[in-house]
Amino acid sequence: MSPETLQKKFLKGLTEQFPDILGKLREYVPGQLIAVLSRDELPKVTKYAVNQLGARFVITVATDQRDKTGDFGISYILAFDEEKQFLVLHSNLPADDPRIESVTPDVPAANWAEREAYDMVGIVPEGHPDPRRLVLPDDFPAGIHPLRKEYEYNTRFPSEPQNAPPRMPPPEGSTVVPLGPFYPTLEEPAYFRLFLDGERVVGSDYRGFYNHRAVEKLGDSELNYNQVPFVAQQICGICGQVHSCAYVEAVERACEIETPMRAKYIRTILLELERIHSHLLWVGLAGHIIAFDTVLMQLWRIREPVMWLMERVTGNRKHYSSNLVGGVRFDITLEAAEDIRRVLDKVEEEFKAVVDAVLIDTSLMARLKDVGILTEENARALGAVGPTARGSNVAIDCRVDHPYAAYDQLDVQKQVQDGCDCWARTLVRLYEVFESIRLVRKALDQMPGGPIMAKIDGSLPADRIGLCSVEAARGESHHYVRTGDNNRPYRWRLRAPTYPNLQAVGCMIQGVNLADVPICIGSYDPCFSCTERVETLDVNTNEIRVYTREELQELSRRKTLG
Amino acid sequence: MQIDTAQLTALAIEIAKILAAAVCILVFILLVVLYVVLKLRWVIARIQSRLGPNRTGPWGVLQTVADAIKLFQKEDIIPRGADRWLFTIAPAIVFIPAYVVYVVIPFGKGLTVRPLDVGVVYVTAISSISIIGIITAGWASNNKWSLLGAFRAASQLIAFEVPVILAMCIPVLLSGSLNLDVIVQKQAGSIRDWNLFNAFPMCQIACLMLLIAGLAEANTTPFDLMEAESELVAGFNTEYSGMKFALFFLAEFAEAFTLSALLVTLFLGGYNPPVHFLGGGLTGYWFSLVSLVWFLVKCWLVVVLILWIRSTFPRVRIDQLMNLSWKGLVPVGLANLLVTGAYVGLWVAR
Repeated sequence: MSPETLQKKFLKGLTEQFPDILGKLREYVPGQLIAVLSRDELPKVTKYAVNQLGARFVITVATDQRDKTGDFGISYILAFDEEKQFLVLHSNLPADDPRIESVTPDVPAANWAEREAYDMVGIVPEGHPDPRRLVLPDDFPAGIHPLRKEYEYNTRFPSEPQNAPPRMPPPEGSTVVPLGPFYPTLEEPAYFRLFLDGERVVGSDYRGFYNHRAVEKLGDSELNYNQVPFVAQQICGICGQVHSCAYVEAVERACEIETPMRAKYIRTILLELERIHSHLLWVGLAGHIIAFDTVLMQLWRIREPVMWLMERVTGNRKHYSSNLVGGVRFDITLEAAEDIRRVLDKVEEEFKAVVDAVLIDTSLMARLKDVGILTEENARALGAVGPTARGSNVAIDCRVDHPYAAYDQLDVQKQVQDGCDCWARTLVRLYEVFESIRLVRKALDQMPGGPIMAKIDGSLPADRIGLCSVEAARGESHHYVRTGDNNRPYRWRLRAPTYPNLQAVGCMIQGVNLADVPICIGSYDPCFSCTERVETLDVNTNEIRVYTREELQELSRRKTLG
Repeated sequence: MQIDTAQLTALAIEIAKILAAAVCILVFILLVVLYVVLKLRWVIARIQSRLGPNRTGPWGVLQTVADAIKLFQKEDIIPRGADRWLFTIAPAIVFIPAYVVYVVIPFGKGLTVRPLDVGVVYVTAISSISIIGIITAGWASNNKWSLLGAFRAASQLIAFEVPVILAMCIPVLLSGSLNLDVIVQKQAGSIRDWNLFNAFPMCQIACLMLLIAGLAEANTTPFDLMEAESELVAGFNTEYSGMKFALFFLAEFAEAFTLSALLVTLFLGGYNPPVHFLGGGLTGYWFSLVSLVWFLVKCWLVVVLILWIRSTFPRVRIDQLMNLSWKGLVPVGLANLLVTGAYVGLWVAR
């Protein structure tokens, strides 16, 4: 451990409560502490760190490591944002009895993470208040955990519809209204069951993960280091650069690869351009949700030149295919840099006009102010990230807290608002666009010359762990990579920003009017395809009947052919 | 029994006249709706920096025709569990009032189908019948979104019926007649004789109120709560398709045009030309023709205004809408009515 780390406040608090933990802590990568604990200690330390020391729960990583050590591994990743530190608490669980005490009763942010660990690898969270199936399809066979190594990535499982998770019963006297799985304003499948009393929401239940694409399984079993970024970028239609960048930085940290500075700057510039076009898109969508389509059209017009820029630099409007472990594939030439400056000047001017109009539009404020309240306490407890958290006065921003790429040299200003409502979240995004434009200009000014790719000889070392959090437009995108043999990752885990934010929705829409539900859900910029990564789908079309995929196909064919 | 041939002939001619008028109005509504929808797309496209329809026919004028043909070809779906009978008649209940209202609208000098002496009362009474059709549609669909849309429609339309009537009372008081033709004739002359430019500020307030409340009644954005796409999927008409949907659509735009016709009739001098030399001196058929043109031009301007409003405001929320009516428009309208009454009684009548 480095001397600076030893001085950190959280470490003193931790060692006061658990004196023998100090000997177990290792810091292989700066900013990332790893401790291997027993399964009794792990929940205790997690609860203490989150509730007493102010750690933020990030994600759990369950690993099937039976081929190496004969047991299962579970890691709880925590972040101490102010002290720029990740803490990985790891425990090995015997193969015949993989269970661990659930921390969810005390750490609500861990709710989904623990359910997913059970679904995918079979780690039982004992005492979990809501242990229903989360990510697996409704008709997936019981007792099969597809991320275990004995299943191939392309194994087909029989359909067993009786395994559908039970639905939450609605409160007495309320009506259930289904929002989804296909709903006009949310472009992706998500199924909220709203419990309504009149038009007031008195409760809700969420069933999602309809978009599983077995990405993590592919990363564990089929892809090598430099294939993963090309799959990772396709996780999301908007934040592709975010996912591929987070993955390669995690590998680079784990294997101590020295990435050239110029490559880091290029990543930064692409990331910020991506944030600009994502935020412009969001402002437009928010307008669409409250039936203000003029905002939608104008914003998308302003956004278009940014997409053109991305194509100018990387050859693609989306899926830039720019990142590789050790560097980037496309340089930003002097002419391209000029184009970027020119387009950004225009975007800034046009967007300024929009922002000036939005900030004084009382009819917009009437729809957004005091709507979808997420208090600061709830935002912290549920682990909200990104503009959702910053709109609730939680000053976390990975670009500052856990710097990656070239952000440590750019002096990022966090945009924080204390309104806790949809309006505050809107303001955060509006101001972040200007901040991003400033960052791109600064990065272009400071960008050094030199190579854009590090030289890597031989295969990368195995059994190392790298973490990287990248601040996507929607919040922190976290990637965990454990390196393996044969130049392939052993375990690749990713957690998109919508994952924690979605868990905060139930709290946000409690008590609001039905008319405000779409804008509340929209206000954290949901990205369901990011959140959901694993398997094939099947869909609930109504309350009683569950169609399998084959039946749906059959139905639609019958319809089309008449 | 003795049958009077002259009387019979008169009856036959009367029936023929009624049928002719009915067909004329129907054709007029169809043309107006086709045009308003096209104009809607053009105006909104311009405001949103887009091109709008420009492919079907010259300048895209045939786009709505093409869409209408497409709608007629659509499969007519009645969902399982729906009340078939109510589900089928609901669009008619919505459309017929929107159609029948046109009976009393003075399109031009002598171009009113029936200049009723209770014209204003007739308009408000008939147009509120369509609420029943919307509630029927929502109920009969057996769909929660539809029902929610119908609930909203009930509360919204009743809430805005009151301010609409309060606003229409002002020109009625000023001209001393419920007959729309008489109200128009009282505004004859030049632009200074129009109600909008008289009786400051009562008429202006009433005009604005009629515009706002009328938009809410006609169910256009920002008040399209009963079919709010991003909230209720499509509200009361979620389950409707094909011709039945087309009837709802037709009724909605016919109502929007009725609103502009009422605004023109009550406040903007109706079919009277704005200045005397632009047709004011004509008589007979020529004046009928010119006045029809003026009526349509004024309606066109109001329609453009409505479309402009439509594309520059976000949708209000149901509770905000209720507050606007009961806490804003209704008290203001009542006070306005009181002041106007005093003004007419103490000032004009003397």
